[in-house]
Amino acid sequence: MARNETLLEAAHALGAAHASVKQLIAEKLKYLVPMTVIFMVSYIGLTILAGFARGLMGTKVIGSVNLGFVLIAFNYLLSWGLAIIYGRIAADKFDPLAARAAMEISANGRSR
Amino acid sequence: MNPTLGIFFVILLITIGITYWAAKRTSTTADFYAADSRLTAAQNGFALAGDWCSAAAFLGFTGLTALYGMDGAFYALGPLVAFCTVLFLIAEPMRNTGKYTLGDVIRSRMQTRTSLLAAIAGTVVVNFAYLMPQMAGAGVLVRLLTGISYDWAVIFVGVSMIVYVAFGGMLATTWVQIVKAVLMLSAGAIILVMILAQVHFNPLTLFADAEQKYTAKYLLPGNYLKNPFDQISLGLGYTLGLAGLPHVMTRFYTVPDARTARRSVVWVMFLAGAFFAGTTLFGLAAADFVGQDAIRAADKGGNLTLPLLAQYLGGGKGTFGGDLMLGFVAAVAVATILAVVSALTLSTSGAIAHDFYVNWVKRGQVEGKQEVWLARIAAVVIGVLAIALGILAQGVNVAVLVILAICVAASANFPVLILSLFWRRFNTGGVVGGMTVGLASSVVLAMIGPAMRGADALWPLVNPTVVSLPLGFLGAVLGTLTWGRDKENEQRFDAFLLQVHTGVAAK
Repeated sequence: MARNETLLEAAHALGAAHASVKQLIAEKLKYLVPMTVIFMVSYIGLTILAGFARGLMGTKVIGSVNLGFVLIAFNYLLSWGLAIIYGRIAADKFDPLAARAAMEISANGRSR
Repeated sequence: MNPTLGIFFVILLITIGITYWAAKRTSTTADFYAADSRLTAAQNGFALAGDWCSAAAFLGFTGLTALYGMDGAFYALGPLVAFCTVLFLIAEPMRNTGKYTLGDVIRSRMQTRTSLLAAIAGTVVVNFAYLMPQMAGAGVLVRLLTGISYDWAVIFVGVSMIVYVAFGGMLATTWVQIVKAVLMLSAGAIILVMILAQVHFNPLTLFADAEQKYTAKYLLPGNYLKNPFDQISLGLGYTLGLAGLPHVMTRFYTVPDARTARRSVVWVMFLAGAFFAGTTLFGLAAADFVGQDAIRAADKGGNLTLPLLAQYLGGGKGTFGGDLMLGFVAAVAVATILAVVSALTLSTSGAIAHDFYVNWVKRGQVEGKQEVWLARIAAVVIGVLAIALGILAQGVNVAVLVILAICVAASANFPVLILSLFWRRFNTGGVVGGMTVGLASSVVLAMIGPAMRGADALWPLVNPTVVSLPLGFLGAVLGTLTWGRDKENEQRFDAFLLQVHTGVAAK
């Protein structure tokens, strides 16, 4: 009987871990999909413009600096900005969920 | 005494000292391949910067911008953006599921011997395609900068890297990379300040002068990458190829957890990104101050632009300041190559000794002590092979290999890695299909393209990533479907997901 109960507990703990990880993945998707789309569109879009809209890229913006260089500078700032935002979100939202799931997995290991 | 040799001698003494220190701390397999996973985020961030900025980045981006304008700035931006992919999708899962190699991740997902072989093939091809041009570049560069002959230069670089890796493993490699990154960033900062002082701290002047000297066309895209699809290939190759470069990705094993891996990516994005942005200004400044004719006269490809610019800023040819600055930049360029080739040798030794010999041939039945020795021997053999290939490569067009390395990384390694981490139905058939199709299409298209055949090209693009990457994914999907449903593998995916996202393996 006792053996069955611990097995049941173990299965329960692992089930909880799976549920927590599912929640974590859903949370990650919510942020990572839009962030990935943003940098890919911004950067690959820039290379497409550079390939097919060379005249547009030459539009003067500030002095001799043209639109192409402005967009390149924008992509630097965007990458750095997204990196900082990702670091924040991961620490605030992902890490606690991951820690909970990790605890539930370990609980499963112990009760075996 | 020639200042380049003097400064370089000092760098060499420091790195040998580091290796001696690291060798005493390297006794287990985990020490050798992963520096016992004890680095901090900042340490790994600097090491990543040292690892990722090859001579092509240090010297090439500045030269490309000086000679071709905006296309050089595109070359410099891509490698920063690439870290967004790594940060969002790869760094933390990699840390959580692997131990020492890319093969570890694939093996822990698929648990089949065939998939491990495919991962080894991807690692070895990419690493050698990357290593050979670095060795050839080292030969040319050291000869140009110091007057040593090409062959001796290659042997010197090769022996140094063998010493670092075989004795000091990952710890020595890491600190060589950190020293190199600090030197590179210092050189960049000094040059930037000197440039800005010349233009009264108004960088817009650099653009205006360049336009006046070389017309507005110089500041437009398309001067170097004539075919629009090459522009897109370059972007895709960088953003998705970095994640498939084993020698950079294994750096995430040197930190204790996913959180530190993530923070080290943020570090490298600011350190390396700032340097990349700087190269665009350096290139414009070189075109303005040194002039394209003088740059081309020194080296047709523009690879000596940065040393020439440093010489100009230091006071010009023949002055003490000019010689000192030139010597400093040249010595950093050599240190840059040493840091990169060491990482490539270490990562290849992981694929041969750990993945192939220990896990494939011996099915994991090798003692820890013995595995460290196997890894060291593998490093020496790979180093000797790299020296031989470097010497053979003299005068051969190695540009195609540089393209091939990043193209195979993006078209074969990246699809296999990302699908392993995120697709439940992905199976051994998919690993083999993705690897084979990605590799074959990259190699064939690069070989029949203009980088290899010049005007006789049978295919218009220098960099075929825009075609080979979708083909690699297609191969992976078709391979998966052909292999058929693998219920056991799909059920195991739940446990794998726990590990991907928490780093804890369910018992």
